[in-house]
Amino acid sequence: MRILSLLALAFMCVFAACSDSELVSMKQLSSGAKLYEQHCSNCHQADGSGLALLIPPLQQADYLTNNALLLPCLIRNGAVGAMEVNGKIYNQKMPGNGKLNDAEILDICRFVLQKFPEKPISLEDESLTLALQKCDSVGN
Amino acid sequence: MKNTILVFACLLVWACNQNKTLPIYGERSLQTFEKEGKSIIDTVYATVPPFVLLNQNGDTVTEALVKGKIYVADFFFTTCPTICPIMKKEMLRVYQKIKGDENFVLLSHTIDPDYDSIPLLKDYCNRLGSDGKQWQFLTGQREVIYELAEKGYYATAMPDSTEPGGYVHSGGFILVDKQSRVRGIYNGTDAKEVDQLMEDLFILKAEKE
Repeated sequence: MRILSLLALAFMCVFAACSDSELVSMKQLSSGAKLYEQHCSNCHQADGSGLALLIPPLQQADYLTNNALLLPCLIRNGAVGAMEVNGKIYNQKMPGNGKLNDAEILDICRFVLQKFPEKPISLEDESLTLALQKCDSVGN
Repeated sequence: MKNTILVFACLLVWACNQNKTLPIYGERSLQTFEKEGKSIIDTVYATVPPFVLLNQNGDTVTEALVKGKIYVADFFFTTCPTICPIMKKEMLRVYQKIKGDENFVLLSHTIDPDYDSIPLLKDYCNRLGSDGKQWQFLTGQREVIYELAEKGYYATAMPDSTEPGGYVHSGGFILVDKQSRVRGIYNGTDAKEVDQLMEDLFILKAEKE
C-alpha cells in the first residue's frame, strides 16, 4: 500500500513537472504514433524504412528535413510522379487519405517529424495548420 | 557448465530438426498402379495444377519453370495499400536468403492483371531488386489466376469494392515442394511465420524424393 501511494506521488510529481503545453504535445505524439501505425506503416513500415525502391523511407529522409511543411498535404492528397528521397528516385503513386480530419493529420505530422528525420523537427501548430488550409484551397 | 548446456541445447535442436517433416496439404486418394506385373496401391497427393502465365518480361511461364524445384507463391497487386508492402518486405527477406541457390524459386502473382501490365510488373520487379529469374512476377487472365489461387494454392483472391484498393486477398506465402505439392502456408505479414518458412525451405531441400 505504501509503495502504491509512493508511486502515485511520483506520478503526480512527474505530471506537475510538465507544463500544460508539454502534456498536450505528449498526447498528440502518442495519438500520432497510433494513427501512423493505422494509416501509414503498411507501406512505409513500422520503422519508417520504406520498401526497396518502391516506397520511400521516412527514416533519416532528407525529403522530410527539406520539405516538412509539405507533409500535411501529402497525407491528405497523396502524391503522383517522381520524388527524390536521399538521392534515389521513387515513382509509385501514394494514395491520399480523405478520411483523416485536420487534427489527426497534424498529429501524424508531429509524430513523423519528431521520429524519423535525422534531427527531430518541431514546427509551430500555426504553420502546420496553415499548410493544411493552403493545400485544401489549391486542391492538389 | 554453461557451455555444456549450450552444446546440449544445440544438439537437441539439431536432433529435433532432423525429424521434422512438413505436412502435405489437400485431398489424397489411394490408387492402384501396375508395376512389373503386380498391382500396387499407393497414395496420390493433391498437386498444384499445370498453368500458363506471363512473367514481367512477357515470357510464357508454365509449371515447367518450377519442375523439380521448391518454390514459394503469393498473390498481390502493385497498387495495394494494405498488406502487400509488408508481404513484399518479407518476401524480400526470403529472396535474400535463397538468392543464388537454384533449388528455389519465388512466384508473385498479380490479382489485378488489368492494371498491372507487364511493363509495370517489370518496373516493380526491378525496383524490388529482384533479378527477375529466381523471383518472378506473373500475370495472366484474371479468372485463371483466381482459380489457380483458390484451387492450386488454397489462397483467396477476388475483387471487393469495400476493401481499400478494391481487392480482398490472403497474405499467405505458399510453400510448394519438388513434386508440386503444397507443404506449408505462412502469414506473409508476420515476420515470425516467415522465419519459419525460411527454415522449412531447407527441410524440403534436404528431403529425399
